[in-house]
Amino acid sequence: MSGPQPRYSAWSLLRARLSGDGYWRPLWGGRPLRDAYDVVVVGAGGHGLATAFHLARDHGVARVAVLEKRLVGYGNVGRNTTIVRSNYLLPENHYFYEDSLRRWETLSRDLNYNVMYSPRGVVDLALSDDDLSGMARRGNAMRLAGIDCELLDLAALERFCPELEPRRTRRFPIVGALVQRRGGTVRHDAVAWGYARAASALGVDIIEDCEVTGLRTAGGVATGVETTRGYVRAERVVFATAGHTGMVGTMLGIPLPIETHLLQAMVSEPIKPLLHTVLVYVFPGHGETYICQSDRGGLVMGGHLDGFPSYTREGRWDRLEEVVEGAIELFPQIGGVRILRQWAGTNDMTMDGSPIIDRLGYDNVFVNAGWCYGGFKAIPASGAACAALVATGTAPDLIRAFRLSRFASGHLLDERGGGPFPVRL
Amino acid sequence: MTRLVCPFCGPRHLREFEFHKTLPAPGAGEFASVYERVDSLELSVEHWQHVGGCRGWLLVRRNPSTGAVLDCRLVGGGGAA
Repeated sequence: MSGPQPRYSAWSLLRARLSGDGYWRPLWGGRPLRDAYDVVVVGAGGHGLATAFHLARDHGVARVAVLEKRLVGYGNVGRNTTIVRSNYLLPENHYFYEDSLRRWETLSRDLNYNVMYSPRGVVDLALSDDDLSGMARRGNAMRLAGIDCELLDLAALERFCPELEPRRTRRFPIVGALVQRRGGTVRHDAVAWGYARAASALGVDIIEDCEVTGLRTAGGVATGVETTRGYVRAERVVFATAGHTGMVGTMLGIPLPIETHLLQAMVSEPIKPLLHTVLVYVFPGHGETYICQSDRGGLVMGGHLDGFPSYTREGRWDRLEEVVEGAIELFPQIGGVRILRQWAGTNDMTMDGSPIIDRLGYDNVFVNAGWCYGGFKAIPASGAACAALVATGTAPDLIRAFRLSRFASGHLLDERGGGPFPVRL
Repeated sequence: MTRLVCPFCGPRHLREFEFHKTLPAPGAGEFASVYERVDSLELSVEHWQHVGGCRGWLLVRRNPSTGAVLDCRLVGGGGAA
């Protein structure tokens, strides 16, 4: 690699096309691992890269490294269903996710990289009056906070999503919906690549194939991390390892309120345009399907967690069947469409379903974790807030509720109202 | 992991069973029992119920990295198999 990262624009791309070779550079990397840093971020996923980007851009931290066991974007940032939204009930959650959604709206410009934010709307379908009144409550909470959302009756839903044919006879008839129009999808790989490129251009060292195996401490403070490439000194260490944060707890000898569960997703073979929005369909008998159509035409689907702790990344087949069952219930005409790929990611499931961004055990060690199945949409806000915490030592108001001590003090953020269990019972 | 071997009913598909919770380490206090987990790549000790069969409560020891079931017996001991 040689030369600085070019700034992308319509003009620069045209010039690159005409001038031939010499324009394109690797998006990140090319710098060696140094032996000391101001901040070492563990994990080059969405949250780790975003944290590093904001540390360098907003707080002027000069020496930042992101250490990654595998490859940039190998984990959950490349394994999700790409949905972004801020339709949460609890204020601590919806203010945070709304901050994130606002950042998604301008992220392509901020990173100078097209992340393909597509505000196609996120629609929660109601199958009963009870569903609808629950949605009205959540929608009202959001509107009081100034966040867009609308409760749709059948006629309005028919106008918004005619392809669904809401009045069609179904086993579980649809009675209405809650829509957040600014919600939608973002190209997930582009998020990892865009943050990695922008951070790298600001001087952040992104080191792949470098596993952190231990934390070295002296006198009650962390002094650095042990890695498969040797010891690296660090003033501060951030663990952004959602999916494996339980293992970080084990490594540090600190029990965490986190269990590791699998969530799977699947995509069909590409078909002609069928669905222009994101549908979330929770049907009686514990089933759930969320479905959208990618720009390539594949139907991207997901559902509930597999339901028990696992690191296998396999995904249980009866869950896949259940998700597909919901999709076919919505669109009977896709019954003959084949599944192209299925995959599963490991999720940090906290005991109240909300994330943790806080110090961990030491004054200069931080954790950005516990994202459950909602980490992707949180990336921009999480990175900015986590960087502020690491740089200033004080948690911004936006993430004060995400402190680790809330479990002991009883200030849980239980969006689901399900009690201290990582899965729905 | 696609099957569990119920001590009463024998090998059955996983969909017949419901995971209930991960068991705390022996001697854990009240707070730790409810909220804290010590993650292990090799061993997870759990309560399951055979809801689609004998409805028995099961103590299951599994390897969460491979999905291998190390042991599945009735909570509190006993059971036919």
